[in-house]
Amino acid sequence: MAVLELKQVKKTFGSGHKQVEALKEINFSADKGELIAIIGPSGSGKSTFLTIVGGLLTPTSGAVIINNKNLSDISEKERSKIRLKEIGFVLQASNLVPFLTVANQLKLLDQVKKGNMTKSQLDDLYEDLEIGELRTKYPADLSGGERQRVAIAKALYSNPSIILADEPTASLDSDRAYEVMELLKNETKRKNTTTIVVTHDIRLVDYCDKVYKMTDGVLLQVNERNDKRDEV
Amino acid sequence: MMFLAWNEIKKNKLRFTLIIGVLMLVSYLVFFLSGLATGLQNLNRESVDKWQAEAIVLTEESDKSMNQSSLTIEDAEAIDAKELAVIGQINAVAGNGDVKTKVSLFGIREDEFIMPNVTEGKVFTGENEVIASDVLQDEGFKIGDELQLSSSEQILKIVGFTDNARFNAAPVLYGDLSTFHRVKFGEADELNLTSINAIVVRDDNIEAITTGKSLELMQVETFIENLPGYTEQSLTLNFMIYFLFVISAVIVAIFLYVLTVQKISMFGVMKAQGISNGYLARSVIAQTFLLAAVGVIIGFVLSLITGALLPSAVPVAFNLITMSIYGLVLIVVAIMGAVFSILTIVRIDPLKAIGG
Ligand SMILES: Nc1ncnc2c1ncn2[C@@H]1O[C@H](COP(=O)(O)OP(=O)(O)OP(=O)(O)O)[C@@H](O)[C@H]1O
Ligand SMILES: [Mg+2]
Repeated sequence: MAVLELKQVKKTFGSGHKQVEALKEINFSADKGELIAIIGPSGSGKSTFLTIVGGLLTPTSGAVIINNKNLSDISEKERSKIRLKEIGFVLQASNLVPFLTVANQLKLLDQVKKGNMTKSQLDDLYEDLEIGELRTKYPADLSGGERQRVAIAKALYSNPSIILADEPTASLDSDRAYEVMELLKNETKRKNTTTIVVTHDIRLVDYCDKVYKMTDGVLLQVNERNDKRDEV
Repeated sequence: MMFLAWNEIKKNKLRFTLIIGVLMLVSYLVFFLSGLATGLQNLNRESVDKWQAEAIVLTEESDKSMNQSSLTIEDAEAIDAKELAVIGQINAVAGNGDVKTKVSLFGIREDEFIMPNVTEGKVFTGENEVIASDVLQDEGFKIGDELQLSSSEQILKIVGFTDNARFNAAPVLYGDLSTFHRVKFGEADELNLTSINAIVVRDDNIEAITTGKSLELMQVETFIENLPGYTEQSLTLNFMIYFLFVISAVIVAIFLYVLTVQKISMFGVMKAQGISNGYLARSVIAQTFLLAAVGVIIGFVLSLITGALLPSAVPVAFNLITMSIYGLVLIVVAIMGAVFSILTIVRIDPLKAIGG
């Protein structure tokens, strides 16, 4: 059973001669435990795809189904509940709450939602991400890589079934970038989540189970695992 | 609910101290003005409040001014009320040789309810003896002082003091009716022995009371509102207070709005994560409440301290009930100022936070 399914999803921005077809009939599905990369040139529709999957943007037509729930059949309030419960976003580094310490960034989620990680799971997460020492620090006092790892911790903390990451390694040097991918991979396998990573960085596809290429709003799977790099 | 609010305050102490400071100053001003308003009101009405009466009868001609009203004891006898007291009143300047001051002389009957309590000295018994407002004590008058009056040959003698005895900003001297008659009409006058200025009525059912022709019965509150200057002063000060409520709402609205605009992308991120508008709105309200409550409490304490330090000539009197109501209004008004920010937050599109 697919955790996530997109059926004939189209997204058009604007109208008339300014109309942009950002997504052209996307059919897509993802299972538990899969780490999926979406690559493609700038403006091809990757972010649009990710925000539609995350329920932040409604498609012009077609259906987005998350754990058997069609997102277009439910209210914005319920969509926001699904975001809270099912989806972990890894956003740009600057998207941490500036006045909360690392530990409190996670605690904020306890305020609004139950079923987050237990204390010992959290300690493991801190250890995995090597941010245990940063607990009492504020985002402004962290390096770009540290911030990114905290952002990942934030996404994982709520035990989501789907993790969506838009350029999670953009602000990192390549060593750090590999580490982050390694980490996402481990979490995906260990927790059996579905993880979708949008990236420019072709070297990162080695970590992924499936790779899709977005070109002008058309999503195509890149087939042979070993040829992934060559094909893109 | 307090989690976000409190952590933000902790991290940005200076910013929030400034907001608290501004709220504190506004509430300080509100409390102080309300103290001044109460003080000025007391200056005019405290002796009247002491009567604990429901109504007062004056002549129609007098246009609600006790000074201008002239009636007789017979008029009082014709009124059927549960309890009543007659009063003769005249304004004068009294001096003991050292100091002079404006006073209001009340001529009353010893066995009626206007008779004041004595805080020091004794009750008037003999001719021209008076009980004086203890305000005169502060101005340098003592028991045993002989008072010359501006408008009369009579010499009055202070035999005691009483508290809360100011009428229309002048300290009151209480004497018996004959003392009042001598002061007002002179020693030899035989015609005006029953002349008084007003009849004060204690009765829960004042509608049922009928008075003689050309007399007017009014509620004590109406009478007070018509004291010279009273309503004008009250209105001015109350207007300033209400204006300050509006100002504090605007200040809070502007401050919070600026803070909110700075945090738009942060709120966007939180919303993208699925944190509800409701939670964010409650958080803003909690924060505003916290800031306003702290500001108001500090302002409250400061105004009480200032009141205690001021010389007694400044007419401030703090009515804790009024102040508590004003404090609550300030907090509510501040929270109303936060509504703008909440609307802004509700309108933030979580997509914006994600970027392209
Ligand atoms: N809100 C919008 N209004 C109009 N056009 C939009 C909007 N958002 C995206 N687009 C257009 O849709 C297309 C796809 O945009 P999208 O952001 O998905 O690209 P992307 O693949 O994420 O690019 P990048 O790699 O640069 O982030 C682009 O042509 C873009 O201009
Ligand atoms: Mg993008």
